[in-house]
Amino acid sequence: MEAIWLYQFRLIVIGDSTVGKSCLIRRFTEGRFAQVSDPTVGVDFFSRLVEIEPGKRIKLQIWDTAGQERFRSITRAYYRNSVGGLLLFDITNRRSFQNVHEWLEETKVHVQPYQIVFVLVGHKCDLDTQRQVTRHEAEKLAAAYGMKYIETSARDAINVEKAFTDLTRDIYELVKRGEITIQEGWEGVKSGFVPNVVHSSEEVVKSERRCLC
Amino acid sequence: MSDKDDTETPVIKEATPTLEDGNCEPDKNSESVDQSAEPESKSEPVASTRKRPEVKPSSELETSKVQETVSKDVTQTGWGYWGSWGKSLLSSASATVATVGQGISHVIEKAETSLGIPSPGEISSEIKCAAGETNARENENSSLVAGPFGVFSTISTAVQSTGKSVISGGLDALEFIGKKTMDVIAEGDPGFKRTKGLMNRNSTLSQVLREAKEKEELWTSNEVTMETDRKPHYGLLFDEFQGLSHLEALEMLSQESEIKVKSILNSLSGEERETLKLELEQLKEAFSLPEFCDEEEEEKKGLGFLGDEDFTKEITELFSHLHVSSKPEKLARTRNTAYEWIEAIPTNTLAEKKEGEKQLEAENTEEVSKNSIEDIHAFAIRTLAEFTACSIELFHKTAALVLHGQKQDVTATERSQILSQVTVVLCKELSSLSEEFTTCLTTAGVKEKTDTLNPLITAVFLEASNSASYIQDAFQLLLPVLEISLIENKTESPACELQVQKPLSEQH
Repeated sequence: MEAIWLYQFRLIVIGDSTVGKSCLIRRFTEGRFAQVSDPTVGVDFFSRLVEIEPGKRIKLQIWDTAGQERFRSITRAYYRNSVGGLLLFDITNRRSFQNVHEWLEETKVHVQPYQIVFVLVGHKCDLDTQRQVTRHEAEKLAAAYGMKYIETSARDAINVEKAFTDLTRDIYELVKRGEITIQEGWEGVKSGFVPNVVHSSEEVVKSERRCLC
Repeated sequence: MSDKDDTETPVIKEATPTLEDGNCEPDKNSESVDQSAEPESKSEPVASTRKRPEVKPSSELETSKVQETVSKDVTQTGWGYWGSWGKSLLSSASATVATVGQGISHVIEKAETSLGIPSPGEISSEIKCAAGETNARENENSSLVAGPFGVFSTISTAVQSTGKSVISGGLDALEFIGKKTMDVIAEGDPGFKRTKGLMNRNSTLSQVLREAKEKEELWTSNEVTMETDRKPHYGLLFDEFQGLSHLEALEMLSQESEIKVKSILNSLSGEERETLKLELEQLKEAFSLPEFCDEEEEEKKGLGFLGDEDFTKEITELFSHLHVSSKPEKLARTRNTAYEWIEAIPTNTLAEKKEGEKQLEAENTEEVSKNSIEDIHAFAIRTLAEFTACSIELFHKTAALVLHGQKQDVTATERSQILSQVTVVLCKELSSLSEEFTTCLTTAGVKEKTDTLNPLITAVFLEASNSASYIQDAFQLLLPVLEISLIENKTESPACELQVQKPLSEQH
């Protein structure tokens, strides 16, 4: 009943309140969109397996954080043990875009000595007519911080899979290249339970690569 | 860019039932070689309470012997006692419990002696020694340094170092015995009760659960290719329902609050400090009671188990009094789904049986009923895991809201009392659920050999009992949170303010 996975990544989803964090995650993990949802209290937890290459699965543990300021002291505690993050803003809400800087500053302080691979997500892209943030400026901001930018819609299921799997792939590459390593006392990346065979075949792939270089 | 996702296909959901990964094949082979080489290192003995019995694990003499012991002991006492463990185990003669307990501890002993881990016998006598001092001291145990609080972690490390999935089931079986033993001892010795609370604090429940889960993971990943992968693993399921994460989150809030309370107390002096201490002491009282109240349960018994409406109503009402925005909807849904499922069983089974009889194919009938008892068992374990996970999620959310929610017109003490009632209701519900499930098992498995049926029934009761322990432990984690809330209410300012200047007026 439990499938095998290569690694487990912990991802954190942050951003202003009401930008649609929980809806995005629910769409991704449950395939549903809830018209009405209560504001998140503290943190919530979701998980899903993602197949990044045939036979290679990553288990994603997704931490859904409350956007409300009053829960900030709780959500802060979760930055440290995350390897990746989705930083959301609502394309129809300029304020939530302006706050992106603050979110990044906030995480920078609390994630030490580790770092989080972030992707900037412009959410609610189905509401294009009410757009207050252009794609261009969002891309510029993302580039300034070395992030990728993607626009999503939980309601219309646009790019939801892509947002999560692209991030997962990027992290996986970093792990493979040894730029992110599994560390004692850090929960961001954990090794899964895989039969030895897979490990060894992976090593074969690695050494082949080395030869090519 | 704006391509629509197909949420169904490209990714495998966690619940994927089978694994078609050819890579696992060689591992399976090496596993079976291992098995014949050193039969003792396998975890069969303990796991037997957690999964449906395999037809014959072959070379493992150890296993079958142990399984026999379990079912023998259990049958001696009769299912009646187990059937109402919520109460009877606590109130019936200690001898009965001791017999059952020994059966299980025997199992663990078997598994552990091969690992050099202290046996539960030693541990429980150690506990008696250290905590009660009412029983004769057993000096030979003095070499065990761990003491009652370090025992479980000692075991877990030992397990970890073996790198096998041994004892994954043993941990909670052990906890079960530990708890029940303590309860029984407490019965005869009220003075002992005081120390019993300490058991809960022996640290981090989530660690124990996480270790158990990881062992189960390792275990399943080793045997996915075998056709046994439908076995329900409580720990894995509990994690799947995010129980572990919520438990960890709750522990985090609890620890933070505990530190805050300490520093606030330290910042005070003289009378202020004493007054606050006294108030905290009163608050603590609400946390010492969640013991099953026999009389109350007796009353309920007469009415049969709580109807769907009753549980939902009761728990919803309790939560509304808490004045937190979280609602027990998910919990009620889980529980109601379970009852609907149970209600649907008897007709199914009967129909299948009749058909089988008509066809006069004994084998067929057996197959059908066998499947269904395994299904019932799997569903029971799943339900218990989900119910417990939901309960812990609720406690976690409650803690977050008590700490950071809008100010409400309820005192910390009132909330504590309500939460302790919630705990009792939840544990009772677990008890009735397990009774329902085992009744189903007994009905569906009339034609089964007791060897097949009994371990399934035992497993359901064990996990239900464990679930109740987890919920009670999680409840205890709320204490520091409510202490902070009490202090905050007094000072009318955020807890981080260390100067408590306002007069400590509002006593009562």
